[in-house]
Amino acid sequence: MTLLELEGVRKSYEDEDVLRGVSFAMDRQDVEVIVGPSGSGKSTLLRCVNRLTEIDDGAIYLDGEEIHGIDENDLRRRVGMVFQDFNLFAHRTARGNVTLGLTAVLGLSKPEAVERADDYLDRVGLADQADSYPAELSGGQKQRVGIARALAMDPELILFDEPTSALDPELIGEVLGVMRDLAEGGTTMLCVTHEMGFARSAASTLTFLDDGRVVERGPPEQLFENPREDRTRSFLGQLTDLER
Amino acid sequence: MTDGETATPGSDPTETRGTTVGDLPGRRRLAVLAAGTVFWTWLLARWAYHNSLLDGLFTALGFPDLIRSERGVRQREGWIPAEPFGAAADAVGTVAAALGPAGVLVDWLRWVLDLAAFATTTAPALASGAFVTVYLTVLSMLFGLVIAVPLAVARVYGGRALRAVSLAYTELIRGTPLLAQLFFLYFGLPLASIAEDVGFTGQPPIPRAAAAVAIVGFTINSSAYQSEYIRSALQSVDPGQLTAARAVGLSKFQGIRYVVLPQGLRFAIPGWTNEFVYLIKYSSLAAFITVPDLFRQARNIGSETFQFTNIYVVVALFYLALVLTTAIAMGRLEDRVAIPGVGQSGPRE
Ligand SMILES: Nc1ncnc2c1ncn2[C@@H]1O[C@H](COP(=O)(O)OP(=O)(O)O)[C@@H](O)[C@H]1O
Ligand SMILES: [Mg+2]
Repeated sequence: MTLLELEGVRKSYEDEDVLRGVSFAMDRQDVEVIVGPSGSGKSTLLRCVNRLTEIDDGAIYLDGEEIHGIDENDLRRRVGMVFQDFNLFAHRTARGNVTLGLTAVLGLSKPEAVERADDYLDRVGLADQADSYPAELSGGQKQRVGIARALAMDPELILFDEPTSALDPELIGEVLGVMRDLAEGGTTMLCVTHEMGFARSAASTLTFLDDGRVVERGPPEQLFENPREDRTRSFLGQLTDLER
Repeated sequence: MTDGETATPGSDPTETRGTTVGDLPGRRRLAVLAAGTVFWTWLLARWAYHNSLLDGLFTALGFPDLIRSERGVRQREGWIPAEPFGAAADAVGTVAAALGPAGVLVDWLRWVLDLAAFATTTAPALASGAFVTVYLTVLSMLFGLVIAVPLAVARVYGGRALRAVSLAYTELIRGTPLLAQLFFLYFGLPLASIAEDVGFTGQPPIPRAAAAVAIVGFTINSSAYQSEYIRSALQSVDPGQLTAARAVGLSKFQGIRYVVLPQGLRFAIPGWTNEFVYLIKYSSLAAFITVPDLFRQARNIGSETFQFTNIYVVVALFYLALVLTTAIAMGRLEDRVAIPGVGQSGPRE
């Protein structure tokens, strides 16, 4: 069943067309991985889905409803986001990062929020770091808190914007591990990532975005083994080479 | 601070701290603390002893003589006798005279002892003035903060109109002399008589309508400066923080309230300390609209005794004590509310 559908989405900044008509749809429990060169509009695309950025033209449907008809705070409660730079609330502990949305947005009581936060921190393996501030956590731990923060809101879809790009190589594994668990548990995920191992094993669909357009889209094996476009082949080839 | 050009606080919220007394090591720190304790014990006792607020309270309880506020400030007796200092000064004078030309080596001591004798006789009046200075400053800072936070938020996050209003207010206040603002409120507007009519002055703890006018004036003035410090502190909060808050579903207002302000206000403490220290000193302008603050007491004593050098040295020490106390207290506050990675503990990245 279709959860998210983009129809001819366009976005431009002043003199620059960033998204030039992007269309695709994904079902519940799908894991959609988007790859593309820097500046191709991947972050912009994700931000359009939770309306951190407003589109110029086209339409985006969440569960059949055009997102501009949904209250933006409501939409964001239903669509979680995980950032490249973590963006943890610097003045709140790991637990406090998770509870803020629960109390301020969902209206949970403090004890309920704490219980739920601790539960989700446990799921990402950080039960023992609940009282640590972001500055006291490693990059991998921060990103896992970021995932717990998004997850605890019980969203229908989570957007990941290069969640491992800011991490030291030895810390990437712990974050990808959590993401794999989520994928297997049926969380619907729209991920911008260049972790090709993750794309191969966890993605239901792989999309190659270049210059604001979907160049090619399909099952990951197909794009890796038999891409229709030369651009796809060379870009994915570069990425996989990097990984060796 | 009176005329925007001499000082432009807000340009750098981190400039104050570094070498305040609060950071002194070991023995010197202890000496400062000891001196501070003695000064404040004495001052608080003085306030308790001659305070119209407490007097009213105890009189109501049946102890009319315990605390005396009805006596004029100048008639209040000191607790430290001046005679020993005077006698010692005379003795030093004799010794100096006996030493002949070499007497200059000890003569400075005579001046110090004379000053001490003078200080003990004038201290009661200055203590009462210090009370006024302290409550003028503290109340104005707090009321100013209440205005400054929304002003700063409007500047950084407001729409076009809000930004313009906030900017206009800030620039108008910062661009005109504080004394002119006070005169405008006191002589230009019938604020004093309104305050008198409302009747909340004349009663303790605000002895005169002029003090109420001064608080209004200082509140308005310091709110403009405080908002500049807070504005630049808010701007130093990573924009990703608000983005993350919004991405969780918080409204812009909630994001500012729960995420940006808690961080920004921590960053603003050093600048806020600056403004606090400025206001302690600039509150002396209240003397010109008849408020019996520390400076006005000193001025009155000066014109009665003609000991201008002495009185201004003594009153300077009072101001210095107040300023140092503030710097230390704010340093403590900053440490206390510090969070790893947010403010304090070394330069931020
Ligand atoms: N807020 C903005 N204002 C102006 N230009 C922007 C803004 N956000 C993104 N861009 C531009 O849009 C293009 C795509 O950016 P982005 O979506 O971040 O790409 P990617 O995430 O694929 O690297 C870039 O050229 C960038 O400079
Ligand atoms: Mg990006």
